[in-house]
Amino acid sequence: MAPVAVVGSGLAGFTAYQTLRRVLAPGEIVVFGTDADPAAVWRVQAAAIRQREMRSESDGHCLPTSFPGLAFSSVRRRRSPRPLLESVLDRYHPTVDEFLSHVERLRERSGWAESFVLRRIDRVRAVDDGFDLDGERFAQVLLAPGHPGLNVPEELRDDPRVVHSYEPHDYASTVTVVGAGLAAATEWLNALAAGAEVVSVRRREPVRRPLNVPREYFSRRGLDGYHRLTPRERVERLRTLTAPSYPAGGRWDGPLDRAAREGRFRVEPSLNGSAQVICATGFRQGFQHDPLLARLVAEHDLETADEWLVLDHDSTVPRLSDASRTLAVAGAPAQWAFPAADTLAGARYAAHRFLRRIQSCRTR
Amino acid sequence: MSYTLRGRVETRLAALVPVLLGACVLAAALHRWWPVELVGLMAAVGLFLDLEVWHRLLPYQPAWAPFPLGAVELAALMAIVYGFGLHASLVPALALFGAGWLAQLVLAQAGFPSLRLGYAEDGGELGRIGGAAGVALVLVFAGSAATYVVRLPPVVHLTAGVHRGPLVIRRREVLQAEPGAVVRGGIVVAHNDVQIKDVTVVGGQNGITVDGVHGTVLDGVTVQGAKLDGIHVRSAGVVIRNCTIDMLGNRLGQAIDISFNMDMGMSMVEGCTIVGGQEGITTHSSATDIMGNRISRTTGQAIDVDEMSMGMASGNTVRDALGVALYCNDRSMCMFDHNTVIGTRADVASGIRTRRGFAVLADFQAEADLWRNTLTANPVATGAVTGATLERTSQPGW
Repeated sequence: MAPVAVVGSGLAGFTAYQTLRRVLAPGEIVVFGTDADPAAVWRVQAAAIRQREMRSESDGHCLPTSFPGLAFSSVRRRRSPRPLLESVLDRYHPTVDEFLSHVERLRERSGWAESFVLRRIDRVRAVDDGFDLDGERFAQVLLAPGHPGLNVPEELRDDPRVVHSYEPHDYASTVTVVGAGLAAATEWLNALAAGAEVVSVRRREPVRRPLNVPREYFSRRGLDGYHRLTPRERVERLRTLTAPSYPAGGRWDGPLDRAAREGRFRVEPSLNGSAQVICATGFRQGFQHDPLLARLVAEHDLETADEWLVLDHDSTVPRLSDASRTLAVAGAPAQWAFPAADTLAGARYAAHRFLRRIQSCRTR
Repeated sequence: MSYTLRGRVETRLAALVPVLLGACVLAAALHRWWPVELVGLMAAVGLFLDLEVWHRLLPYQPAWAPFPLGAVELAALMAIVYGFGLHASLVPALALFGAGWLAQLVLAQAGFPSLRLGYAEDGGELGRIGGAAGVALVLVFAGSAATYVVRLPPVVHLTAGVHRGPLVIRRREVLQAEPGAVVRGGIVVAHNDVQIKDVTVVGGQNGITVDGVHGTVLDGVTVQGAKLDGIHVRSAGVVIRNCTIDMLGNRLGQAIDISFNMDMGMSMVEGCTIVGGQEGITTHSSATDIMGNRISRTTGQAIDVDEMSMGMASGNTVRDALGVALYCNDRSMCMFDHNTVIGTRADVASGIRTRRGFAVLADFQAEADLWRNTLTANPVATGAVTGATLERTSQPGW
């Protein structure tokens, strides 16, 4: 039985793989996925919203340790200390191209191809001292299934004008953007730059902050308090923390203010007669939308809280992890353990704890 | 980086380990404790600020924050260093602090995050490394403290009563006299780092002789009836505090004579009371500060900075001196400030023009700077002869 399996070959699975490689050889890790390129899905989505810079900062990478960050490699590539200075001021954001190059380099040198198996896993079943993944057995398994699909509001599903922001699209002369997060803000600027008249439809005012969640939630300082919350309180906190947000700053506000003065940008409570409706409404939320997780929960009667799968602080599934086996979750479905689980830092958090479990496991 | 309190403390302690080891090496090389004391103080100041200020003030600490935080810590550290008189040289102390700050910056920003998985998400906590760093620091500080205590000189108590001299001290020790202890026949200091406290010396060629050694401290000694000098220092570094010297009836001796010790660093005479003698305090080829002493009834000069000496005489009170009170002679460089000179008498019997009762006299190419001295009832207030100069300035020429 191979010791370790990663289910999911996206960025969360890829980041976990890089951490596992600190201890394990490629032959000791099996990665199940549907695309050998870990950035395949993300690349399409970033291109769809014409994203040029990452929201994350220097440590938004797939390496196992937070240092050296992407600012260092950017210094070498650009032959300028500016990325490092910007990083010191929390103003460095790697370009999408820099990030994709980083993923590609890492993929080539880490033995990813040797570990990757092109196969979708449909069922994870707990067995004695391990888990059965569609017929193959592993003692240590990390699930990184990614987002369970794009979210389009129910009332817009059949509207022919609708396109999701993460699907390739151009811009009509009048555009309504539904949503208030980073993708929505990016689409406002994209559509305005394309000469469109833009209407923003949103249920609440966006939160303005540099990262997905407040910075203290990326470390134990904020997480300790978060982990002490009761399940009900934690659900409420997660709803607050995952509310739509995008960074503050003139880069965003300047073009919007100018367009508003010119009468090309306004906020409205509901859809109007725009020629195009862009749903910048992110991804479907909740384990029940992911067939693999939904089945896992149902078959093993796992604890859940609203749409969240209840996990231990170390991102493992409590009922299915013990001294001899580990089932951990990374990426968006791991928010119960780490509110920013759908970021690269979140993927690293789950991966680090998964590795600790493996190293302390008596079967190794 | 969002530090937890434990992470902040562990990171600081772990970053201090190499600095403390460096300080120990420096202390061994210099034979001085201030590097270890300074690192201990850095640790104390840093930990206090971590616990009481930084942790509460900074839920998130950006990468630029170590710069202003370091400036605040340096200011607090230097205030304590100077406030408590730790005798750390400014430039080496700044260099040591800079090294500590840089080590902390590099380790926290790059070293620990690259060595330890999850350093950032653990809020700077280092696990076993953090605990080990704390233990290492405690051990090194405890070892240093133990070494310091073990190396303290033994204290020899001189019981009350008369002890026959001359008493020759040939080892590093503290000679502490009990009230009523008297040494008849003088004391000779013949070893480095000797301290003599509260001893009364009667008679002897010199009352106390210090020759060719360094680190001597004479504190609260009383000397009377010496045949030559009260305290006689040659080629030795001394600190003399709160002494009392009676030289009445000794026409040719000096109460305190410190000579030929320019290569031994600064010496100091402070808070002494001197009566009589040819010269009260005289220095030759010496760098000695003469501060806050009371000198009266001398027959030559009350304070004599002589023979290419360099020094400051400050806050002294001179009364009833015969001929000259403050004398800067023979290419010496003197700063006389805030002294009070009252009632100097002209030495008519000598017939020498330069002994006409000068409160301050500069002689033979010496340079004397004067500032805020009180000169009262003296036949001549100031004078400069044979190529010497007198200048009124608050800044000494050297």
